Amino acid sequence: MDGFTTVLHPVYLLYALFGVFIGTAVGVLPGIGPAMTIALLLPLTYSMEPTAAIIVFAGIYYGGMYGGSTTSILLNTPGESASIVTALEGNKMARAGRGAAALATAAIGSFVAGSLATVALTFVAPFVARMAVQLGEPDYFALMVVAFITVGALLGSSVPRGLASLSLGLFLGLVGTDTLTGQQRFTFGVPNLADGIDVVVVAVGLFAVGEALYVGSRMRHGPIEVIPVEKGWRGWMRRDDWRRSWKPWLRGAGIGFPVGTIPAGGADVATFLSYAAERRLAGKERRKQFGKGAIEGVAGPEAANNAAASGVLVPLLTLGLPTTATAAIILVAFQSYAIQPGPLLMVNEPALVWALVASLYIGNVMLLVLNLPLVGMWVKVLQIPRHYLYAGILLFGALGSYALNFSPVDVLLLVLVGLAGFMMRRYGYPVAPMVVGMILGPMAEDRLRRSLAISQGDLSYLVTSPFAAIAYAAIAVVLVAGIWLRRRERALEKVVADGERPRAGVQA
Amino acid sequence: MRSDVKAPEVPTTADAAPARPPGRRWGELVLAVAVTVLGAYVLVTAGGIVVPGSTNTLGPRAFPYLVGAMLVGIGVVLAVLVLRGRRGEAEEGEDVDLTVRTDWLTVALLVAALVVHVFAINVIGWPFAAALLFAAAAVVLGARPWWRAALIGLVLGLVVQVIFGGLLGLSLPAGPLLEGVPFLRG
Repeated sequence: MDGFTTVLHPVYLLYALFGVFIGTAVGVLPGIGPAMTIALLLPLTYSMEPTAAIIVFAGIYYGGMYGGSTTSILLNTPGESASIVTALEGNKMARAGRGAAALATAAIGSFVAGSLATVALTFVAPFVARMAVQLGEPDYFALMVVAFITVGALLGSSVPRGLASLSLGLFLGLVGTDTLTGQQRFTFGVPNLADGIDVVVVAVGLFAVGEALYVGSRMRHGPIEVIPVEKGWRGWMRRDDWRRSWKPWLRGAGIGFPVGTIPAGGADVATFLSYAAERRLAGKERRKQFGKGAIEGVAGPEAANNAAASGVLVPLLTLGLPTTATAAIILVAFQSYAIQPGPLLMVNEPALVWALVASLYIGNVMLLVLNLPLVGMWVKVLQIPRHYLYAGILLFGALGSYALNFSPVDVLLLVLVGLAGFMMRRYGYPVAPMVVGMILGPMAEDRLRRSLAISQGDLSYLVTSPFAAIAYAAIAVVLVAGIWLRRRERALEKVVADGERPRAGVQA
Repeated sequence: MRSDVKAPEVPTTADAAPARPPGRRWGELVLAVAVTVLGAYVLVTAGGIVVPGSTNTLGPRAFPYLVGAMLVGIGVVLAVLVLRGRRGEAEEGEDVDLTVRTDWLTVALLVAALVVHVFAINVIGWPFAAALLFAAAAVVLGARPWWRAALIGLVLGLVVQVIFGGLLGLSLPAGPLLEGVPFLRG
């Protein structure tokens, strides 16, 4: 409860408001996301105290989830494939003149599920942390291998390309001075590289510069068509909409939080599972509406999305294990304030952890208020001319990497990473595994070498602990299940996009 | 409502298969080969990492060997996949039109703008270098008229300089033109 007294302090409330505001803006704007924004703000917030910075970052993390739904519902272009099922239903609703209801059910559902998931986080996290204290070095290494495999294989459409991206990230993590022996590795004799490549440069380069270059290469020209939304409070949600929405919200929360806690690809999987569940449960008459603007298809996935965002914080705070790109950047933020996430975080920094959790509760309320009545403003943001938007993204990307050391070398490196990000996007390599690999790689190497130092080189030590053995066995299960889910997702997307009646067996 | 007529060739706008320019395959192959070559480089260079005598178990070479092997393995798999026609799917996005060809000139000009920006920072100061980057990028991406983009860039550069340099204490060089102006010193 101390967390609330911290967060309710007016200054922190302002920080939280700033965070959710920025978060919603970057969520609404195409081309930038929470991971990149937090990475950009990292060098700019070094002068802030840790609690304030973490509250801002939590707000951005959460706000991005809310803002994204506004874009996919109102923007008249095919959205990102990750959220296409939701985008499709919401977009169809908006075109049918029910945009306000879609926005409202997404926002309220996000609020309900986000709050429930934060409650779950409050109770689950200390429990997991207590268990995590008993884990040894090989167990941590096993967990990281699980994270590598799932992140590499499940983010993105192609398993080998995801793993390639992950391996490239692992390589970037190798550059610099080896922590255990002090040897320089892959520095090419460049003194700036002795400290390693800064994660900020890589994250901003991949997410901001790479995205701007990629969009620039295939810019969608012509006016930005935003579907108009009716004004006023009355049209938002009818009695019938509430009746059809509340169960999907709760189910979404129930699906999203557990999926978020396991390393299974983060919010995307939760979104899809919720959509599939709603579609199955809808009954004969309602199921026909799926693909044509079913409110359940917006309510459930949007709720699951936010619940998963809280779920991701469980492994991050208790094990120091990031399972999404944004979580990986938040981990870097912790490290830059010399805070080590892990089982002892709750013991060592209780004030910070509970302030963070409390800020999630407060942030949820703020986001509900920010999103519903202010939707007109977000529509304006959505209409920023794209040439100015991407020029601005490039400018702030350059600023963020320059501000690291005030050295042009970092900005040049940024351009190189940006080019790599452009090529990866163009050929279907997901960029998120690269960031996760770069951050988690050195940690995994550390755990591996310490494990083997304890066992004096005996490799079997890595798998003899029951926990590690279970983790390695789980990889196989998660992989098979995950790839099966991906197939199902694509098949369903196709069915829904074609507007067909579902057949008995959906072939991949 | 005759949606299920046998006409699979007509793609709907939502999932229209993007027209693939013939040159695509080579670019993708180059990327796969680049991954392989990087892996081979890592494997070779890892052998040259100095191992201090004190480490008796896993030294600083082991993990690089692992990463290098992964890169080589995946690079070869990808190259084979591309050669067998299994190409990657270009990323989708709200502002991306997958049906148009890649405009390499835009990419090159954007990169050039960034590089010029980097070298301009220490010569004309951060605000003006920023204005230059913003204006150039916006015009390359289609902003008209050019002077409006330049004006917005200048205002943006100065505002950022005041907020981050002046108020938050980030040491952004204001440059010779603004020497001694209050609020701007980093």
